[in-house]
Amino acid sequence: MAETQEIRGCVIRLDLYYDVDDHTWVRLNDDGTVTMGMTDVAQNMAGPLLHAKTKAVGSTRKKGKPVATVESAKWVGPVKTPISGEIVEVNQMIEQDAKVINRSPYKEGWIVKMKPTNLDEELKDLKTGEEAVKAYKEKIEAEDIKACEHVEGFEA
Amino acid sequence: MEDYEGKKILVIQTHGVETPTRTYSPLFYAMAAAAMEMDVMVWFTMNGTNQLKKGEAEKVQLDPTSDVTLKTMLEQAMESGVKLRVCQQSMALWDMKEEDLIEGVEILGATSIINLALEADHVMYF
Repeated sequence: MAETQEIRGCVIRLDLYYDVDDHTWVRLNDDGTVTMGMTDVAQNMAGPLLHAKTKAVGSTRKKGKPVATVESAKWVGPVKTPISGEIVEVNQMIEQDAKVINRSPYKEGWIVKMKPTNLDEELKDLKTGEEAVKAYKEKIEAEDIKACEHVEGFEA
Repeated sequence: MEDYEGKKILVIQTHGVETPTRTYSPLFYAMAAAAMEMDVMVWFTMNGTNQLKKGEAEKVQLDPTSDVTLKTMLEQAMESGVKLRVCQQSMALWDMKEEDLIEGVEILGATSIINLALEADHVMYF
């Protein structure tokens, strides 16, 4: 299991790349694709999710554009991809039960897999490891983001 | 999810702070459309205008166990890219001047709403 750290109870995995401002993560896969999803902080801010809808497989998305919309009882918003590319797979499970994102934001609750088109450049804008923890800590403190409660259970 | 990127949605809100249960949903739909990359505008007129008066939206809280107020909803809508516009003529109903409006709201006249309705791909009326 990958090493994790916690900030105000919010879990950060050290093996992922993060866009801290948009609260998303990216995992580099062996086949050249990337998997992306929402962070623990994001699922906690949104609250228990009721619905998640992804863009279709085959859609081309530029960095910063939505690959999905998610909604809870109190919030609805986009999940923006930190990496440009083509969506090659979407997580069917989150359309059936969006709360899987609350329970397992970094594993079972992934959003889409993409074939990146500008990965090397765009990875430079993301943070990983201790650097990600530091950046997230600063953001959480600056914006006074509430502590993570894992009301749906949690899997890091 | 089908691609509706760039479609124009106009939401017309005619209900205000005296009917709290009619205030959140139009903003929630607007935010959903914005999340789907649509071009969204909420037009406040008649009673809808009074929620834009400084100090009013904070008083509307549908769920007492949540810290979300109508002001939160208005701010989240603007943050998500939803444009908030108010009918100039309706402001007189609530004795409101430009300086009474919350930040980020623009004033438009009746002619503009007709133009916007004609240009929109869909109008939702509440």
